[in-house]
Amino acid sequence: MPSALSTLTSAHDAASSSIKDSDRLAPEDAYFKSVNARKRREKARDRSASRMRKGHYKKLLWFKQPFPDNYTDEETFLDHLQRNPRLQPYEFWSLMGDATVIVQHIASVAIFCCSFAAIAKDRVSPVSVVSWASLCTVLGWALWDYWIGKEEAEAIKVAAAIEAEEISSTSSNASLKEPQGLGLTLPNGSTDQLGHSHSASITSVASDTSNTSTGGHVSAIGSTALGSDFHPPYVDPASSLSPRNQQRLATAKSALLIYAALLGLSPILRSLTESTAIDSIWAISSFLLCMNVAFFDYGTGAGAHLPASISTNSALMASTVLASRLPSTTHVFSLTLFSIEVFGLFPIFRRQLRAISWRGHLALTIVLVINACGGVFMTLTGGGRGSWIAGVILGGILIFLAMGICSWWLIGLQKYKNEIHGPWDPARPIIRPRWD
Amino acid sequence: MPYNIAMISDFFYPQPGGVESHIYQLSSKLIDRGHKVIIITHAYAGRTGVRYLTNGLKVYHVPFFVIYRETTFPTVFSFFPIFRNIVIREQIEIVHGHGSLSSLCHEAILHARTMGLRTVFTDHSLFGFADAASILTNKLLKFTLSDVDHCICVSHTCKENTVLRASLDPLMVSVIPNAVVAENFKPLSHTHGSHPRHAPGPPPRLGPHDKITIVVISRLFYNKGTDLLIAAVPRILALHSNVHFIIAGSGPKAIDLEQMLERNVLQDRVSLLGSIRHEEVRDVMVRGHIYLNPSLTEAFGTVIVEAASCGLYVVCTRVGGIPEVLPGHMTEFAKPEEDDIVEATSRAIKTLMMGKVRTELFHNQVKQMYSWTDVAQRTERVYDGISGALSHDEFYQGAGAGGAWSATRGRAGVQSFALIERLKRYYGCGIWAGKLFCLCVIVDYLLFVLLEIFAPRSRIDIARNWPKKIPIQMQSREKEGDGKEGGSIGRKRSARRREKREEDESET
Repeated sequence: MPSALSTLTSAHDAASSSIKDSDRLAPEDAYFKSVNARKRREKARDRSASRMRKGHYKKLLWFKQPFPDNYTDEETFLDHLQRNPRLQPYEFWSLMGDATVIVQHIASVAIFCCSFAAIAKDRVSPVSVVSWASLCTVLGWALWDYWIGKEEAEAIKVAAAIEAEEISSTSSNASLKEPQGLGLTLPNGSTDQLGHSHSASITSVASDTSNTSTGGHVSAIGSTALGSDFHPPYVDPASSLSPRNQQRLATAKSALLIYAALLGLSPILRSLTESTAIDSIWAISSFLLCMNVAFFDYGTGAGAHLPASISTNSALMASTVLASRLPSTTHVFSLTLFSIEVFGLFPIFRRQLRAISWRGHLALTIVLVINACGGVFMTLTGGGRGSWIAGVILGGILIFLAMGICSWWLIGLQKYKNEIHGPWDPARPIIRPRWD
Repeated sequence: MPYNIAMISDFFYPQPGGVESHIYQLSSKLIDRGHKVIIITHAYAGRTGVRYLTNGLKVYHVPFFVIYRETTFPTVFSFFPIFRNIVIREQIEIVHGHGSLSSLCHEAILHARTMGLRTVFTDHSLFGFADAASILTNKLLKFTLSDVDHCICVSHTCKENTVLRASLDPLMVSVIPNAVVAENFKPLSHTHGSHPRHAPGPPPRLGPHDKITIVVISRLFYNKGTDLLIAAVPRILALHSNVHFIIAGSGPKAIDLEQMLERNVLQDRVSLLGSIRHEEVRDVMVRGHIYLNPSLTEAFGTVIVEAASCGLYVVCTRVGGIPEVLPGHMTEFAKPEEDDIVEATSRAIKTLMMGKVRTELFHNQVKQMYSWTDVAQRTERVYDGISGALSHDEFYQGAGAGGAWSATRGRAGVQSFALIERLKRYYGCGIWAGKLFCLCVIVDYLLFVLLEIFAPRSRIDIARNWPKKIPIQMQSREKEGDGKEGGSIGRKRSARRREKREEDESET
């Protein structure tokens, strides 16, 4: 009987399909697939020895083989099957680190809600909230501007280095270095003493959009320079100001415009939802804030400069709806401006900070968590300093535990990942990008 | 032992295509081997009811609501009454469904099992596991194939795919390739009456300035690799001044192709023929020297066999079942990458120019590799296996021998049609799906019982078989069959049949 049983299992062996074949479909296989597969193949070989047949079986159709049509060869059947080819096992602390991004965003949403509650209950004056926030925003913007300037300088340095390299090697082979050769116009332009040449302005914008990694600079500049008819927004090549200052001016202008528009709109917004019941307002705003959290762009993508628009829009709409319940025009104006700062500008700063310094990111996370926890506790209990401290301690522990449990859970879930690839998948064609 | 077989698929003539011609060719060859074959498909525009094709092949066009790309609306049960009627009328023993996207075929297999018939399913296509459409199709396939007796796939890759998709025992899946009608794909020299097979001299060499024509015949879709073609054509033409292209076929990517030609001003070296009919394919193919197939996924790739049969050297991508189809001396393989396709084509051109391949011998070689008669013979073995004419050990090579448990369910004559056994099989399909499928099967069974009560078998006429030349050993059995039928009804029907025969179609 054991021989009959073994032939039976060997028939099933290669078919990782059959559900009964628990070994191949076990979650651990995702990790130890190579070891397991080899072990199994060896086993299969031992078993098939008892059923050795004449000749070799080949996976070909064009000649007649001395095997019946439903013959299944244990050696070759499903030999091109790949399971989880691109699996990267998660690590606990890196997951925890990535989770801080989500915690930051949720904390800033919580802070906004607490501020609204405090304003609505007349615990703080709306003007003080918005002035503190605006002060922080201006400081943050100055910091951001400084970082961008530093990045740009670095980019120019890198470009100059490339230029030097290019000049030393231009004689050797021009055609090989075509993509870099196109980037060559850049350093020429930026070292140009005219200061407002077209190429120089490209540099500034390119470094604006580029990421912080030095490798990213070169590629970003190169790609911007390749689109030869690229005109950066807000930059007038004929102006006497440097492109950086032009940009600052443009930012200030748009800030002023938003300020003025809000000031004009506030009376209208104040009476926007007068006819709506208060519970609908709570429902709508909590739904919209949930949407904001759900659709927010937590990625580190280099290209995404602004957070996803659906998330920002829903947050602004939520703040508008909430603001319309406030008593005076000043209240409305303050809350709306505050929401623009929290949901529109703050994410840009956070993204930049995370890219530049991990310590700063961590510190900001801790500050945000402390404020959010304390604020939430104060709002809920209506207490003073005591409840603030209790909230910070309790909320901090709670958030840390939640982060840990979720990370651990995700790591645990990863073993259920079962991606199957094989020759039946449509191939991905690899086509060279065209410049024409 | 002749069987009464019903081929069921949504895809049949007048719609052209690979599955369609497969069904037609297989059926006519099975008829030649003495079986009775009918085809059940849905009604096409202007084609409803019963039709006869060449050789007495009967086609039932059942009126059905078509939703997408000639696939009927999946209603699970609504097909049962008419299906039962046809099956009883034609005394069907084996139901053979084709095409995993055909809902008619899936329904028929379910009903056939309820009625206690043997079922076979042929899979013609490959599916991934990643996207939502594939997941849904795979689940449905698992449903139908949970209780099928045997499966046929057109290539080994297709078998692996089907085994994984439907969780089948690999022993109950046979690989039977497609075939080509080699007579329809003869190279030019054959029509001149010469026999190059026996030509003693060296093959005619192509001079360095002789024009080399590359033929591409494919529908211009993404998954046929048209993007690769568009990228590769200008580069191949730039590398080789004596190369010309003939591209036939139409599709959504045609406009990209035309734009590429205009941008590179290649109109005089690339001729676009638009869509061509299947019978014109040979005439286009023989105008070229190389056939280029840039497809991204392909279960079998009949077209490269046709090209080789026409005496063309084949350049193709190494995807799906394509590497299994032709021997190495007829093909040049490329990765599905632009650079590699250009390289492989250049290699092929070089090989042709040096006279290293005897393309004039390809036709006879292909003729020996693939024939529909062979396919019919191998399919017949499957029928023998599932209906018990072959012993279980012989068919499954000892799987489950010695009384051990076996998952090869099509066990000759042993398999149970008992409802509880079938429910056990369906139950294993998934946590929710298993229960849902069981419900479906129970409802199907109740429908069957209802139909037996309200439309009893005794009230359904038995159709007369097409009169054909009977092989001697079959004659005695046929006589028995004739004796059962009522004489007068038969005569009346045969008169009707004569009218039908006038509209007889012979499509290829």
